[in-house]
Amino acid sequence: MAAAASNGTPREEEGPAGEVAASQPQAPTNGPGVRLSRLPLARVKALVKADPDVTLAGQEAIFVLARAAELFVETIAKDAYCCAQQGKRKTLQRRDLDNAIEAVDEFAFLEGTLD
Amino acid sequence: MAERPEDLNLPNAVITRIIKEALPDGVNISKEARSAISRAASVFVLYATSCANNFAMKGKRKTLNASDVLSAMEEMEFQRFITPLKEALE
Repeated sequence: MAAAASNGTPREEEGPAGEVAASQPQAPTNGPGVRLSRLPLARVKALVKADPDVTLAGQEAIFVLARAAELFVETIAKDAYCCAQQGKRKTLQRRDLDNAIEAVDEFAFLEGTLD
Repeated sequence: MAERPEDLNLPNAVITRIIKEALPDGVNISKEARSAISRAASVFVLYATSCANNFAMKGKRKTLNASDVLSAMEEMEFQRFITPLKEALE
């Protein structure tokens, strides 16, 4: 996987920090359709550590954040797609995303952050 | 390393795959839209972290735990995430 590593990082799935689970499987299924996140925990951990008010974050918290971020991506992609569908397009454009952010209250926190 | 927290982005390949699987077959995504979604995901993590940390501090704890994150989801009005997240923890 990660054939198109456009951000220059050869190994996107393994973080440098040994303290997070290095053996992160790709989209495994754990029982009835419950999946571990595909997002690398090390990158999520780096984001968490970027907050100066955060002292420590437990492994489980990182894990939940990663999965939540994945759910968020699914959600916003679907909401943006509704806008594209109205325009009878099959390609999601940046403006579809902007429209979704404006239309959906839960996305208000994104306003002004994506430019 | 990163200049700003917003520069800590998540891998493009993974983000793209998540998006494609969420959308019907045959739907494409422009590079700009994909990049914006990726940045949005980073902002989401930062915002969720900040919210979760408030709960940890309220509980006089120094370590962010999973329930702080779940409380943050509620606060951010992403209650629909709570059930799948709880399942993922089991």
